[in-house]
Amino acid sequence: MKAFFSVFRMRLRMETQYRGAVLGGIVCQVFFGLILIAVYRALYAGKPQSLPLSHVTTYVWLQQAFFRMLLSSDAELMDKIRTGGIAYDLCRPVYLYGFYYARIMAQKLMGSLLRAFPMLVFAALLPEGWGISLPASLPALMLSLAALLLGLCCVCAMENISMALTMRTLDPRGFQAMLNLLMMILSGNILPLTLFPDSWQRVITLLPYAQMLDAPIRLYTGEYELTQGPGVILLQAGWTTLLVLAGMMLWRRNQDRLIIQGG
Amino acid sequence: MSYIHVQQLSKRFQVRKKGGPGSFLREKQMLQALEGVSFDIEQGDLIGYIGPNGAGKSTTVKILSGILTPDEGEVLVGERIPWKNRKEYVKHIGVVFGQRMQLWWDVPILDSYSLLKDIYRIPESAYQKRLRELAEALNLGDLLRTPLRQMSLGQRMRAELCGSLLHQPEMLFLDEPTIGLDAVSKLALRDFLKWENREHRTTILLTTHDMEDIAALCPRVMVLGHGRKLYDGSLQDLLRHYDKARTVEIRYDRDKIVPDLPESVQVQKEGDGFRIVYEPEKLPTAELLSLLQQAGPIREMTVQPQNIDHLIADMYREMGL
Repeated sequence: MKAFFSVFRMRLRMETQYRGAVLGGIVCQVFFGLILIAVYRALYAGKPQSLPLSHVTTYVWLQQAFFRMLLSSDAELMDKIRTGGIAYDLCRPVYLYGFYYARIMAQKLMGSLLRAFPMLVFAALLPEGWGISLPASLPALMLSLAALLLGLCCVCAMENISMALTMRTLDPRGFQAMLNLLMMILSGNILPLTLFPDSWQRVITLLPYAQMLDAPIRLYTGEYELTQGPGVILLQAGWTTLLVLAGMMLWRRNQDRLIIQGG
Repeated sequence: MSYIHVQQLSKRFQVRKKGGPGSFLREKQMLQALEGVSFDIEQGDLIGYIGPNGAGKSTTVKILSGILTPDEGEVLVGERIPWKNRKEYVKHIGVVFGQRMQLWWDVPILDSYSLLKDIYRIPESAYQKRLRELAEALNLGDLLRTPLRQMSLGQRMRAELCGSLLHQPEMLFLDEPTIGLDAVSKLALRDFLKWENREHRTTILLTTHDMEDIAALCPRVMVLGHGRKLYDGSLQDLLRHYDKARTVEIRYDRDKIVPDLPESVQVQKEGDGFRIVYEPEKLPTAELLSLLQQAGPIREMTVQPQNIDHLIADMYREMGL
């Protein structure tokens, strides 16, 4: 256990070292946020939707602020797998799945927190109809924070599966591009899931991708009411457990049939 | 029973062969990395493990360190089977892969060490003591707060070695630890390995292409080729068999002089002198000297044994590698 905390701390610290990347990420995400909101304002000006515009802008800003949580990979870990540096990790007395889970979580957590705070402050200062609105209520905020934490666990489990698959294909680019596309669409990163047709939403919101960020945002805006909270959390926890178990199985199978590339 | 016992070890890999241009499907091919390799190593031994690229050296190290599972054969290291109960086993061994990195690139190496401390659950006092000892022996004192990325290759290798030894393993596997190092760093590394071996009776298995490493460190050497063990014994005995030629470099007072030598001797003009390769078995050194003197007054000359790398190259050739 101590090893997991230790690698978590280490990866947290490493993430804080790349200040330029943080700044670059913020500028990029703010730009995307503004463009997306401009598009939705135009859409609403032409044909108002049933969903209030302030919900959409809030959704967009929260998605952009936590972009790093969904769509970023530990490049150093990928490289290790690709070049065979992982050989070292394989001869350590640690449980590899947990070791990598801690590492991935540190990277996603710190990576998104560093960007989210300044971005949310910026978004809060924007005028009505452009910026982020306050949470539906204090309990809604608390519940959405809990859901965000579970969402983080869920996305880390998903990422660890993708790492395990990288060990098989040895080059992550092909299937990562595909997985990223799925992630962008089904998590609500490109188009808020709240704007999908109702019949689609019924299915999409049940998928694991919707548990990561879409569910916490809906709790924040009040789209999901407080009474729905326990159900949402339960669904998140269910998917997280399932993905963790799948990841553990994949890593165990990897360790049984292993080829280390080069030298 | 010996400390490391390897019996009839075999390992095959499936490699995918790229088809011709335009073909999408790839053929599969089996590659025999190791075939029936057996050896025993006693505790406290320092063994050299050599062979050309692709001979199976690294595969052996990866099996012995519990990363790979062999297809056939028995392996016992300190009465443990490496790939069974891997987590328990690896506490007792240390590994250095010369071409890979275990320390974190962007943080001071001391932080990487403290992560290793937690991974191996080394008690704080034992860790501090061992770190002091290793930092002194490897001359790392000023580097502990430096990130790995700012270090030279030689410094990096010393830092990596320290990382692999913090938990005081009984057995150390070194896979090409001197690759790319300059002379000073190589000598320092060799001294350190000797020290660690003597001081803590750490058993060391060293794979390398640097024959000087072997000559300086390993009383016993094993040669591997095409996945089979070809030789196991002392380096001297191995070399004696191939070490037949000597090289003489000679310069006369006047450059016009050309010595008259029998056909079994190779003569090469080099600068204003000659480079002569002869075999004392065929032409005794005394005879060669008198022939050289008859040609004219000698200004300077040296006699050298054959370069160890040439010997090994001859040996690989003869073994059909």
